[in-house]
Order: sequence, then C-alpha cells, then structure tokens
Amino acid sequence: MGKTRVRNNIRKLRFEHSEMTQQQLAEHVGVTRQTIVAIEKEKYSPSLEAAFLIADAFDEPLENVFSFER
Amino acid sequence: MDMTFQEKSAWGLLVGIGLVSYFYFPAAFDIADNEPQPASLIGISIAGVIALIVIEAIYHAVIAGSSGSDGSMDERDAMIDMRSERNASYVLGIGLFSLVGHIIATHSITGKESVGALTIAVWILFAITASEVAKLIFQIWYYRADA
Repeated sequence: MGKTRVRNNIRKLRFEHSEMTQQQLAEHVGVTRQTIVAIEKEKYSPSLEAAFLIADAFDEPLENVFSFER
Repeated sequence: MDMTFQEKSAWGLLVGIGLVSYFYFPAAFDIADNEPQPASLIGISIAGVIALIVIEAIYHAVIAGSSGSDGSMDERDAMIDMRSERNASYVLGIGLFSLVGHIIATHSITGKESVGALTIAVWILFAITASEVAKLIFQIWYYRADA
C-alpha cells in the first residue's frame, strides 16, 4: 500500500504536546502503536472515528490535524 | 522487526501450515492414489491437525505473553485481513475450477474418471490450504508495506 492522499501533522502535534509517545496516542485512539506509525507516515488513512479521536487527543479540530491532497 | 500481534500470528501460521503441509500432502496424495483401503489417510490427517494445533497453541501463547496483547484486531488489522481474504479467494477459486475443469475435460475426452474420489478430496484440501497460505503471505506483505 503506497502513500495515501490524507496528510497529517501528528508528529508535530505529538512534539508540541509534551512529546506524547506513539503508544500513548495509540492507547487514546484504541489502536496498535504500529497503526499510529502507519498513519503518521501517511501510508494508512484512518477511519473517521479514529481521525476524530486523534484530533481529540491533541484537543484540536480535525482540520488542524488532517488535510486532503487534491 | 516491529510487528503487531496479528503480524506475528500470520508469520507463525505461515510457518506452521507450511511445515505440516510439507509432510502431509506428499503422503496424502500417495495414499489416495495407491492404496485401495486408505484408512491410513484418516490417521495422517488427524496427526496433521494435532501437530498444527500444538505448534500454533505454543507459538501464540509465547507471542501473547511477550507482547501482552489479547489478540484483538484494530481497524488496520481488520482492513488488511479483508484485503488478504479477498485475494486468497481468487487462489481458492482458481484451484477448485482447475480441478473441476481437469475432471470434466478428462472424462469428456477419455470417457473415464481421471482421478478417484479420495484424490479429489486431497486436491480440494490442498486448494483450501494454498488459499490460506496466500492469505497469510498477503497479510505479511501488507503489514510490511505499511511499516
């Protein structure tokens, strides 16, 4: 599976939120750490529910975390 | 390699099925083709199933203990599982249609049955096993592509 067209700022946001670990984010979302790695590398597009939960972890609106490359 | 429980499970199943199949299928085809009273086919089939269950139970207990996972799937695991299952269904379809095609073609040309019922049964089991192996290979491939 190649790169998706869904872009994200997860790495930057994790850094800005007290260097939140991928494991901490994974536990908040309810997925494995490897799934967070795949999302962060833009190789996997999360479900809408997981995307909202990721945004919730950073207390940001969805559009500040994810964008779509046209 | 950084692997989830599901990916480790796929590797274990692939090795386990490969190992059991390596010994089972040559013996099963030999018995089905050559023995008029193939009671021993039941014996090696039971032995194969028990060997696979024991190998997988021990392996999964070890990986569950080391990773602390309960083995549940997340959304990416489920998507990879569905894609792999779909691809594997083509392998199963090709295997079964090839067998049916071979039986019909041979019967149409020669007027005789090409293979016995037991050999057909072993070929069907072989096609099912091949599709399961294909599914596991696709799963591992998708996990590695995303890693």
